[in-house]
Amino acid sequence: MKISIKIGADEKKFIDRVSELSGKNVYSCYQCGRCSAGCPFAFDMDILPNQIIRLVQMGLAEEALSCEAINVCASCFTCQSRCPKGIDIASVAEALRQLRDPQEKDFFGPDDVPRELADELPQQALVALFRKLSK
Amino acid sequence: MNIHYYPGCTLKEKTTNLDDSTREAMAVLGYELVEPANWTCCGAEYPLSEQKISGLTAPARILRQVHSEGGGQVVTTCAFCFNVLKRTNVDIKRNPLKNKQINAFLKDDIKIDPNTKTKTTGFPPYNGEVDVLHLLEFLRDEVGFHTIRAGLKRDLSGLKVAPYYGCRMLRPGGGIGIDSPDSPVIFEEFLESLGCRVVDFPFKQECCGSYLAVSRPAAATEASYQVLRSAIINGADAIALSCPLCYYNLDRRQDRIKDAHAGFSGFPVFFFTQLLAWALGVAEDVLGLDQHYYNPKSVLHNQPKTEVAQ
Repeated sequence: MKISIKIGADEKKFIDRVSELSGKNVYSCYQCGRCSAGCPFAFDMDILPNQIIRLVQMGLAEEALSCEAINVCASCFTCQSRCPKGIDIASVAEALRQLRDPQEKDFFGPDDVPRELADELPQQALVALFRKLSK
Repeated sequence: MNIHYYPGCTLKEKTTNLDDSTREAMAVLGYELVEPANWTCCGAEYPLSEQKISGLTAPARILRQVHSEGGGQVVTTCAFCFNVLKRTNVDIKRNPLKNKQINAFLKDDIKIDPNTKTKTTGFPPYNGEVDVLHLLEFLRDEVGFHTIRAGLKRDLSGLKVAPYYGCRMLRPGGGIGIDSPDSPVIFEEFLESLGCRVVDFPFKQECCGSYLAVSRPAAATEASYQVLRSAIINGADAIALSCPLCYYNLDRRQDRIKDAHAGFSGFPVFFFTQLLAWALGVAEDVLGLDQHYYNPKSVLHNQPKTEVAQ
């Protein structure tokens, strides 16, 4: 994949918006990788948690907003408890999900819940998931 | 003594065994659990975006209700409810901007008189007066683990239990969790007060799969299996936990874990309140053990006697 890096006005705006929504300073990450080493769902992600932050640092909005990893994060905060710079990737992922197609359809909504599971799922699983992945 | 108790939605529908065992155990210890009037869902997940303030109003409204009923604290057992209520309360106390925004939402709530049907509005601001406690904290700090030990009616000294914290009781740190996010001891101390043998295992703070059981079931199955496997190879007879969603993933989805891992044949999972109620002498049929996928009943009855010094 060929990526050209240019931190212009658009890129800076994207980086600042992610920092503002997440309340985290993404510039402070120095890519130590402890978040990815400890993430219980890194095995199911297309890019690693530290790579999400790297894409944001470089202002690569399209790549950061289209990755699957931000939908995989279960907000368990293991990364946050290990990050030496106090970044919590769950919040950055939430900011990215919010910036992704803001007014469009649910990414995972009530219609996507398998019918056979509807009766057995605990309420908190549905409410929490819809808070993450639907509008 | 009456204490305010917020059960949350899941305990009323899917995990009545957690609700029932909590009430019975606390009754033995001399506490009646009172629910705040007109409580609603807490929202389950704390909104992580700085802009999603409206998601904080439901938990704030519950806390305001507890405060208006004269309650100084509210106790929960569901780890999700605990996390949302606690984080919201901490926001209200520490963050003046969020306090202002939340109270701006709340003050226009409409109160309807049940008799006259007249509508009034205008609520006094809520400023974080209520302490949000997980039941384990309440048992440690208010009841005292020594009181539990003194009231034991059944012998659990042969039972090796692995305490599973999961995510939301401990993280994030910074005064939210019930103990240190890295090296917690409260659950271990609780189990020791019941007379159990505590089994340490490296997956006690790992995520069980959470709501990914809905959107990415295979990944959740794998995460749950790793937790169960870790408890098994470290010699536990059972896992104890607090969160209804961890219970769903670690117990109710064991059929799917079996499908994915041929060597897995099932493993008993308890709510910590079921062990507490049992140890305090509550009748077995109240514990709701038959609601589990893997009925852990036999574990309570077939305990090998060990030589643990009292």
